[in-house]
Amino acid sequence: MTENSTPYLQNGAVTATNADEPLVRVEHLGKSFGDHIVLKDIDFSVRQGDVTCIIGPSGSGKSTLLRCINLFEQPTSGRILFHGENVTAARKANLLRRRVGMVFQSFNLFNNLNVLHNCTLGPRKVLKLKRAEAEALALKYLRVVGMDAFVNAKPRQLSGGQKQRVAIARALCMNPEVLLFDEPTSALDPEMVGEVLATMKTLAEQGLTMLVVTHEMGFARDVANHVVFMDGGVIVEEGSPEQMFTSPRQERTKAFLSRS
Amino acid sequence: MLEILREYYSDILLGVGYTMLVAVIGTLAGLLIGILIGVYRTIPNPKNKVALVFKKAGDYLLSAYVEVFRGTPMMVQAMVIFWGFALLNDGKTLDVTVSGLVIVSVNTGAYMAEIVRGGIISIDKGQFEGAHALGLTHAQTMFNVVLPQAMRNILPSVSNEFVINIKDTSVLNVIGFTELFFVAKDIVTQTYKTFQTYLLVAMVYFVLTFGISMILRLVERKMDGGKNYKILGSQNPDAETFAREVKHD
Ligand SMILES: Nc1ncnc2c1ncn2[C@@H]1O[C@H](COP(=O)(O)OP(=O)(O)O)[C@@H](O)[C@H]1O
Ligand SMILES: [Mg+2]
Repeated sequence: MTENSTPYLQNGAVTATNADEPLVRVEHLGKSFGDHIVLKDIDFSVRQGDVTCIIGPSGSGKSTLLRCINLFEQPTSGRILFHGENVTAARKANLLRRRVGMVFQSFNLFNNLNVLHNCTLGPRKVLKLKRAEAEALALKYLRVVGMDAFVNAKPRQLSGGQKQRVAIARALCMNPEVLLFDEPTSALDPEMVGEVLATMKTLAEQGLTMLVVTHEMGFARDVANHVVFMDGGVIVEEGSPEQMFTSPRQERTKAFLSRS
Repeated sequence: MLEILREYYSDILLGVGYTMLVAVIGTLAGLLIGILIGVYRTIPNPKNKVALVFKKAGDYLLSAYVEVFRGTPMMVQAMVIFWGFALLNDGKTLDVTVSGLVIVSVNTGAYMAEIVRGGIISIDKGQFEGAHALGLTHAQTMFNVVLPQAMRNILPSVSNEFVINIKDTSVLNVIGFTELFFVAKDIVTQTYKTFQTYLLVAMVYFVLTFGISMILRLVERKMDGGKNYKILGSQNPDAETFAREVKHD
């Protein structure tokens, strides 16, 4: 599903990518808003094919971390490496974002466009695909999320779960190397959570690299291969789901997991 | 009143024609000015210091334009622009129709600039983020996602400006522009039927503004489209049409 290793800054020029180099590496990342310190010295990596879940209490900086990775927020200190290349400078942001997709809690579908055109806008304007190519791509991914019958619908005509599946298809149309999810099911009615999680699970099984902020512990346990627990702007503990859920080492992790 | 209409209908129609010409072109040109300014003023501040200085300078100039034209009567603006042009061109005045078009456009532009800016900043920032997350630039986001929604939202205000313009072109009589009010004054000097003439003209203005309001409301409804959409390829071979409650989140 992912098409790998075209270096994104040197347009088209081939650079050797070290096989050991993670797709995304966050080094000593710090972020403050004014004197409010939100992230402190965050270090972690996402490897090709990883499904990483970030869990932690509300306000612990999970969204901010995700938003630093696609440069929606400018880090105050530290670096973000993409294929080993430092991308922290903000003027490279839209070059980075065409390869790092994002799915939001509030969907953010384009209200003026129907489902099909929500999915073709990025490919047409950013990837410069022809209309027919973009539409074929959109249909392909709308089929993956089970929304191909709704191409003519406007976002306001869809349920929350349907909107989120379209938002996932829209992100997939850019063929991202990693897809960031910020609490993709938190705005949904309980009966719609399942359809979105099932879609995400399918993508994970197809090998998509995903970084998911979630409160769905079942999903983290069953689908993730790596779980990161954050609290107070730091990574308290990380590890495999088995280790994190059955024998967490830190007291704070234990306390959090027993509450949720 | 009917005799006035019978005798002067061609003059009245001419007045209506000029009034509508200025109102339509003035509103459209004003909207265009408003869009350009509204889009410029919502460009995020550039990181580059020099670019930032230019951007800020532009912002100040444009807000000066907006404040001056909103803060003075259009009748006075008409006199200043018309006679100012004459003064700068050795007494040669600008064509009255052209002057009228310029004055109404520039005046409307000042109001539209604020209307458009308000329309843009009222769009949820999630719409910008959804587009930026795909790698779209600010300009691509603005023209494909934000402006279409902002335009729909400001349509009632734009209609309102249009109706105001139909009435306010009457001040252009001060530069001798033969719009409807100018025609009325002319008829009065010939017939001395002051009340009947102005009552008739009032009715004509009302028919124009009310008619336009109705038409624009229809346009709004058209732009919103139906509440229905087709589900494609469902089991039912005649693709069924689904109606749903419009849901807002
Ligand atoms: N744009 C911002 N300006 C100021 N403070 C912010 C901003 N975004 C987030 N914060 C603060 O950063 C902290 C972490 O927020 P967030 O990353 O959203 O946490 P989480 O996603 O884990 O709930 C919160 O205290 C929040 O108030
Ligand atoms: Mg959050």
